[in-house]
Amino acid sequence: MRNSGAVLILTFIAILTLQAAGVSPPGKPRLTSCRSPEKETFTCWWEPGGDGGLPTTYALYYHLENSETVYECPDYRTAGENSCFFNKNDTSLWVNYNITVVASNALGKNISDPVEVDVVYIVQPNTPEHVTAVVVHDEQGPFVRVSWEKPRTADTRSGWITLLYQLRVKQEKDKEWEEYNAGMQKYYNVFSLHPDKEYMVQVRCKPDHGFWSEWTQTTYVKMPDSFIPLKNSFDYFSINFLNLIMVFIFVFSVKLCLLPAVPGPKIKGFDKQLLKSGKSEEVFNTLVIQGFPPTTDYDNLLVEYLEVYDNEEQELVQDGKDLSEDCMKSKSPSDIDSGRGSCDSHTLLLEKCMDGREGSGSNQHQYSQHGETRWASTESSESQDPEPGSPESANGRGKTWPVVFPSPQPQPHHHYPVGAAKPAYHSVPEILNHLSPHAMSSNYHQLNHQDILQQERRFSKPACRHSQSYNQFNLDGIDTPAPGVAPSPSLEYVEVQRVNPENMLLLRPLSDPNREPEGSDCTREDYSKVKEVTSNNILLLQRDMSHQCVDDYSQADQCTTQQPPHPCKPAVHQSNSGMPQEAIRVMGNGYVDSTVLMPSY
Amino acid sequence: MTQGSRLYFAVTVLMCAFVSINGVGLNDLLERASQLSDKLHSLSTSLTNDLDSHFPPVGRVMMPRPSMCHTSSLQIPNDKDQALKIPEDELLSLARSLLLAWSDPLALLSSEASSLAHPERNTIDSKTKELQDNINSLGAGLEHVFQKMGSSSDNLSSLPFYTSSLGQDKTSRLVNFHFLLSCFRRDSHKIDSFLKVLRCRAAKKRPEMC
Repeated sequence: MRNSGAVLILTFIAILTLQAAGVSPPGKPRLTSCRSPEKETFTCWWEPGGDGGLPTTYALYYHLENSETVYECPDYRTAGENSCFFNKNDTSLWVNYNITVVASNALGKNISDPVEVDVVYIVQPNTPEHVTAVVVHDEQGPFVRVSWEKPRTADTRSGWITLLYQLRVKQEKDKEWEEYNAGMQKYYNVFSLHPDKEYMVQVRCKPDHGFWSEWTQTTYVKMPDSFIPLKNSFDYFSINFLNLIMVFIFVFSVKLCLLPAVPGPKIKGFDKQLLKSGKSEEVFNTLVIQGFPPTTDYDNLLVEYLEVYDNEEQELVQDGKDLSEDCMKSKSPSDIDSGRGSCDSHTLLLEKCMDGREGSGSNQHQYSQHGETRWASTESSESQDPEPGSPESANGRGKTWPVVFPSPQPQPHHHYPVGAAKPAYHSVPEILNHLSPHAMSSNYHQLNHQDILQQERRFSKPACRHSQSYNQFNLDGIDTPAPGVAPSPSLEYVEVQRVNPENMLLLRPLSDPNREPEGSDCTREDYSKVKEVTSNNILLLQRDMSHQCVDDYSQADQCTTQQPPHPCKPAVHQSNSGMPQEAIRVMGNGYVDSTVLMPSY
Repeated sequence: MTQGSRLYFAVTVLMCAFVSINGVGLNDLLERASQLSDKLHSLSTSLTNDLDSHFPPVGRVMMPRPSMCHTSSLQIPNDKDQALKIPEDELLSLARSLLLAWSDPLALLSSEASSLAHPERNTIDSKTKELQDNINSLGAGLEHVFQKMGSSSDNLSSLPFYTSSLGQDKTSRLVNFHFLLSCFRRDSHKIDSFLKVLRCRAAKKRPEMC
């Protein structure tokens, strides 16, 4: 009893003494890192927490995630002090290791915090080996080829581990390294290194998912001197200077000897002396060429009037000279003459064009009867259907619109869109292709005029009322063999009443009693000036606001314009969807010339 | 050239052509597949890092054990010697089985990512979507590889995933998200390793890459 008590007291005193002497149970160790160099083995290191002044032993224990069995570290030595090496047999991949280190000494023990480790995430390879840097001489200059080998332990051949390499280069005096990535290859060419300098080279590697290895030991490489024989800059300078001099000499000699002298200006008739001394008129008079411009009679330039051989009309036609300028122009089809095909030109022999065309006998006969005039044919054909509202007005044949883009109708129209791409005057022959065979030849020319005169019909000025004679043709009547219509010998003046939605011109004979008396201001309504073209290709015709007479057309009006304040006129032409757009160009005298500028589909 | 040498030459040329025609195709396919699987694993690692940046300590305690991953039942090689012994078609089917097992869970992760209680949830969301795309591409690529390899049997293991929701409260949702992601990260590493072994095995003609 007294012994145990004495032992206790003694122990207590001993502890106190020991503590006074500075010994204690060990401090808590700490696992610092675990690494696997090749994904086959791994090593863990710890640091002691303090031995408490007494010899302390450390033991590492681990267990795998899916078992409770605790194992102790198999190898404390291979990896050095405070380490544990797991060899191949003890290494499992894709499994968590729960590792702890226990430090124990005479006074007690201490356990580190557990660490969970999966070997595949801690891969850090060894450094690459056998780094060599060799200068290679090339035409473009010398460069350094750095090559190395993989770390010995890494098994890249089987694909078990994939390594990526990196190298860095610098001169001794430089602060920063120049880094280059070499991918998976084991060599790299370094360019743009300065001659006669020494460089340091280092290489390291990393697995596809892991940590970089350490850098290798430095390999030194010295760049050679440059091989240009000129050692110093003075030689460069002198050579350049000599080159420049030679170039100058060469250029001068070429200029003096080889190249001809540059001739002075020689304008015929231009007298330099006169220019210096004389007046400007004298100088420039020499430039005047007599006889230019040709001062011929302007009248001759215009195409001759179309002579109409009808008795009634002849008087009217012969008054042509009294008509205003506008009418003259409206008469002549030559305004739109340019660009036509040969058959379009009225100056060419018409027979040439008639060849090969099927023509109705009667028309041809009439044609030849009246010689060159196209009016004859016009007149004959247009006499067919003087009635207004003729249904065949624009059915797929000569359209109401002089321009060639008819509204799509179930006739053979396949040519039309093609023709649509060309200007109006080109397309006339296109239309012809679709005229009925027997009407072709005559209608051809008739159509020509028809087009022109349709325009005139629309846009002629009121003063041109006389030229209504031109309007005689029946726009509907292109279709020569109109069923049930007997060609009447007498001509009937018609005027276009309106255009109905099917793009038919509704004609009304001028002898219609419903019409207003001639001479009244209201007749101005027959002729209209185009005010503008709306976006729907609708021509807004301008009505003279001055007169107040009742508009007989009003009941027939289907106002399609988009400007209500304006007096409405029926839309002259309504483009249907799918038809190419036309542009109307207003010529200076108030007439419009419809040309297709840009067809859009 | 003698008859014999001519014949020998012709046979060699033909064999080279045959092998190169067939081999190059598979090589390129496996190369591409390895690139995709590499990207897959890198994405999952970066996602894990994003999640770890703001992870509650209590979550680590709550985290289920890795053996609870739904793919843990699949028998896979645990070290190099085992892995290198496995024939190519079996390696391929392991990779494909793993890949297939993750299409549903990734869909779940993708749907939950946007509502995570985490400051980085937008990044996480976009990376999860990218993960999904990658998986689909890789799955298609491995189908091609499988057809190209021309093995007779298609023994894919079924690894069903029965979880339909990550949890009710935001902490457990976050923890389960992290756990699922860690399972995926490991499995993507497996897929990547197997495919790279396959790649080098097929690339006998290009030893410098392996």
